[in-house]
Amino acid sequence: MKKKVISAILVAAMMTGCLTACGADGGAKGKQTVSIFVFGNDQEQAIYTDMFKAFEEANNCTVEAQMCIKDDYNTTLTGMMTAKDLPDVFYMGPEAVSQYVANGYAMEITPVLDELGLSTDDLPQDILASYSIDGKLYGLPHDASVFAYAYNKDLFDAEGIPYPDPNKPYTYEEFVEICQKFTKDTDGDGEIDQWGMGAANPFMFYQYVWSNGASFLSDDYKTVTIDTPEFKDALQKYVDLTLKYGVTPTVEQDASLGVYQRWLAGQEAFYACGTWDVAAFMDKEVFPYEWDLCGYPTLSTGISTTWCGTVGYAVNASTKNKDLATKLAYFMSADPDGNRTLSGITTGASIQLPNLISMANGEFKDAIADGSLPFPNNTEVFFNYLNGSDGYAGKFMESTYTPNGEWIDIFFNSLDTVKNGSVTVDDYIAQMQPQMQEALDNAWESVQ
Amino acid sequence: MSKRNEKYKMSTAARKENRYGLAFVTPPFIGFCLFMAFPIVFAFIASLTKWNGMNNMLDNFVGLRNYIKLFTDEKFWKVLLNTIIYMIGIPCGMILGVVIALGMNRKIRGIKVLRTMYYIPVISSLVAVSILWAWVFNYDYGLFNSIIKAVSGVHGPNWLGDEFWVKVSMIIFMTWKGLGTAIILYLSGLQSIPRDYYEAAKIDGASGWTLFKHITWPLVSPVTFYLLITGIIGGFQVFVEIVVMVPNGGLNYSAATVVFYLYEKAFTNNQMGYASAMAFVLAIIIFIVTAINFVGQNKWVKTID
Repeated sequence: MKKKVISAILVAAMMTGCLTACGADGGAKGKQTVSIFVFGNDQEQAIYTDMFKAFEEANNCTVEAQMCIKDDYNTTLTGMMTAKDLPDVFYMGPEAVSQYVANGYAMEITPVLDELGLSTDDLPQDILASYSIDGKLYGLPHDASVFAYAYNKDLFDAEGIPYPDPNKPYTYEEFVEICQKFTKDTDGDGEIDQWGMGAANPFMFYQYVWSNGASFLSDDYKTVTIDTPEFKDALQKYVDLTLKYGVTPTVEQDASLGVYQRWLAGQEAFYACGTWDVAAFMDKEVFPYEWDLCGYPTLSTGISTTWCGTVGYAVNASTKNKDLATKLAYFMSADPDGNRTLSGITTGASIQLPNLISMANGEFKDAIADGSLPFPNNTEVFFNYLNGSDGYAGKFMESTYTPNGEWIDIFFNSLDTVKNGSVTVDDYIAQMQPQMQEALDNAWESVQ
Repeated sequence: MSKRNEKYKMSTAARKENRYGLAFVTPPFIGFCLFMAFPIVFAFIASLTKWNGMNNMLDNFVGLRNYIKLFTDEKFWKVLLNTIIYMIGIPCGMILGVVIALGMNRKIRGIKVLRTMYYIPVISSLVAVSILWAWVFNYDYGLFNSIIKAVSGVHGPNWLGDEFWVKVSMIIFMTWKGLGTAIILYLSGLQSIPRDYYEAAKIDGASGWTLFKHITWPLVSPVTFYLLITGIIGGFQVFVEIVVMVPNGGLNYSAATVVFYLYEKAFTNNQMGYASAMAFVLAIIIFIVTAINFVGQNKWVKTID
C-alpha cells in the first residue's frame, strides 16, 4: 500500500513537473497587462526597465517585459511566431515590415494613434517611411542610427596635420595621401604599427561603392550589379588602400587584432563611429584619446555616403489590447524622458540620437554645447548623413530590402582574398556575381 | 476452483504491475513524444515546405524540392567535406589517448593530478575553451606562432584566417577536446584486462609490442568502438567551436560545418524549410555511418568473454 502511495505521488510529481513548465501564466489580477520583447546590452536593458516602470505608473498597468541580447533576438522571435505566442509589442526592422504585414504579425497603427491623439509629426519622416507600406504605418522607430567616420585628434596633433573639415570631406586621393603620413613604424622594430585607417569590410566598403555611384543591386533589388565599371573601380580603390598603399593593417594583421581594437589602442588615425559608439568613445577608460567626427572620403560622385540603420516597434496584429500596446510602442519611441535618457541628455552617456526632431535640434544640442553631454564637436556629421545635405548622404544597406542577406554575406565572406592579393578584382567579381545572384533569387523565391 | 482463483489472482497482480509499469513509463514516453518524436515529424513536414519561420508552413508545400536543391548545392557538399575532414581528429585523439592511458596505467607519483588535468577539457565549457584556443591560434600573439617564431625565427601560419590552416587548427582542437574522454575510457579498459593474460604471454616470450598488439589492443576494442561511434556522431554535429573561433565560417567558407550552415540557413537567412531538409539528410548520414559501424564491429571488436 505504502509503495503504491509513494509511486503514485512520484508519478503525479513528474506529470505536474512536465505540465507546469508548459502552462506558465503571469499577470497581476485587476490591472491590464501588456507584453513587450526587446533586445539590448546590460546598460540599455536597465534603461528600458526604468521606462517600463514609468509606463506602468502612468497607465496603471503591468508591463510583461522580456529582454535578451541582440544575437539571440531573431531566433527567439521566430520561435514565438511559430508557437503563435508573440508579445503585444516587439522589434521589427524595415527589412521585415512587408513580411510581418503579409503574414499577419504587425498591425497598422495609424488609426489607433489617431484615436489616442498621438502624433508622429516630431519623428523623422524618412525613417517612419521605412515602416510604412502604401501610406499605412506599421511601426515606430526605436532609433535611427548612423555609421559615421571618426579621426584620432591626438595622432593628427602628433603629425602636425590639420584636422579634417567636416564640411568638406576628403577626396579619395587626398585621403590616401593623409593616411600615408600616419602609416609608420613608431617603435623602430622594423614593423608598421600605426596606420592611416582600419577597414572592417562588411561595414566600411559600402561607403566606397555608393560614393562611386555604384550599387550592389538594381533598383528593384532583384539583380546583382557588382559587375559594373563603377563597382569594380570602387572595389579596386578599396583594396588598394591595403594592397597598393598599405595604409591599413594587412589581412594577417587584422586576424591577430581587429581594426576596432587597433582604433581603441590609438593605432589608426581614422575609424568608424556609429551613433551607438559615442558613449564608449567619450569614456576615457575605453578610448583615452581626443577624437571627432568627419566624413568618409568621396569618390566619383563627390558625395560622402554611409549607411544608416533603424529598428522599430511593431504592435502584434492579434493583440487583445490594441490601445495599450500602441501606447507602449509610442512611449518607447517618442516619450521625451525616454529620449532624454537614451540620447544621454540626462545621463551624460549617449547611445543613440533623440527620435524627437525638436529635441535633437534643441535640448540635445544645448546639452552638448554646455558640456553636460560629452559628445564630439562635429555633431552635424551625424545629422548630415541622416537627413542628407550637399556633400552627405545616408542610405539603408541594400540587404534591408531583400528577404535575407545571404547574397551579401557571400560577397564579404571571401573579400579578404582580394585584399591579400591572391585574387584580382575582375576575377573576384566574375566568381561572386553568379553565386550572389543565385542566393538572391533563392531569397526572393522563398517569399513568393 | 482453487486453480482458477490462482490464475485470476496472478493475472490481477500482473495487470496491476503492468499498470504501475505503464505509469512509470508514461512520463519519459510523453517527454520523448514532445521533445523528440514531435520535432522530428515537424521537421520532416517543414522540410517539404518553403517555411521561412513567418509564413504558414502548410500553405507553402514544395514536395521534395528542398532535397533536390540540397544535392546540387555546392556549399552543402563543401561544408560536408569540411565536417568529414575535421573527423581526422577522432583517430588522432584515440591514438594519443591510448598512448597516454598506457603511460598512466602504472603507479607513478601525482597520477591523480595528471588524470584530472587531462580530463579538465571534458568538463570545461566548450565556449570558454574555444575562446582560449582562438587565442592559442592567434596570428601575432598566439602560443603556437610565438613558439614557431622563437624556435625558427619564421612567422607561423595564419591559423584561423587561411583556408588550409583553419582545417589543421580545427583538427588539432578536436583531438585535444576528445583526449580526456579517450584517456579515461582507455584507462578503465586497460585496468579491466586480467594480469594473467600478460603473464602467460610473457612466459611464451612475447615482446612488449606483441603484448600490446595481441592482448591490449584487441581487449580495449569495445572502448575504441564506443569512442569511434560517439566521436563520429559528435563530429557530424560540430557547431559551437566554429561559431566562436571563426564566426563567419572562415575565408571562402573553409571552416564551416554542416550544422553551422544549417543554422545560418535557418536563423540568419530564414530558410527553415531548406534547413530542415538539411537536418534530415544529416540525420540519415549519421544513421547510415553508425549502422555500418555496428554491422562491421563483429569483425574487429573483441570482448574478454
